[in-house]
Amino acid sequence: MISSTAKLDHVSEDGIRQLVDAFYTKVRVDPDLAPIFACAIPGDWQPHLNKMYAFWSSVMLTTGRYKGNPVVKHLVIPGLQIHLFERWLALFNETCGELFDDSVSKEFRSKAERIAESLKLALFYRPDRPWPAEDPR
Amino acid sequence: MTFVVTDNCIKCKYMDCVEVCPVDCFYEGDNMLVINPDECIDCGVCEPECPAEAIFPDTEPGLDSWLKLNAEYASVWPNITIKREEPPDAKSFDGVANKLEQYFSADSGRGD
Repeated sequence: MISSTAKLDHVSEDGIRQLVDAFYTKVRVDPDLAPIFACAIPGDWQPHLNKMYAFWSSVMLTTGRYKGNPVVKHLVIPGLQIHLFERWLALFNETCGELFDDSVSKEFRSKAERIAESLKLALFYRPDRPWPAEDPR
Repeated sequence: MTFVVTDNCIKCKYMDCVEVCPVDCFYEGDNMLVINPDECIDCGVCEPECPAEAIFPDTEPGLDSWLKLNAEYASVWPNITIKREEPPDAKSFDGVANKLEQYFSADSGRGD
């Protein structure tokens, strides 16, 4: 038995839900991220949270629950700047560390970092400019 | 960054990858699959699912020509998101060397 304060030592659907809920609670009050998300998700957050449960379930548990095109979704977000990915990752990593033990936390972080890098490339890479780029679009 | 499908997929085409891919970025040729590098988000879910061990991250050395082939055919072959039966002789081709030269077909597969 583990106590209620022990960190989770494996990935489960329930752990993913806790992570997503805790992470987006932080996002929604973060000075850098909150305005972008408020603009992208102006109404009910539950559909977005459900989508993120499914996304992380697909990525961490290979359930195939999420099907979508995150590159296209991110392309249409007004005001999205490349440095915000760092802030997103910092908050995500912090939340993973609070919920999961080191090994599981590292698994989540490594996936998030790879995905963030590929989204950044898809959204901001230009063949005629240096990479990594730090300038907004 | 992206993952790429390589030689051992040819004539094996097990298709386990397409079920787990969260972004539906697999495209189907007559006897192999490819990944669209512009849609892949580098999550790596497909890599361990491939029974033929034919999927690698493009950061591995020597995959430039495969990356090119994946990009080229992803733009012409149909999308596939639902696994079907593998070819009946898939197992006998699993592990055969240099399948690209001997067996690669540029024809389209069925897709979904």
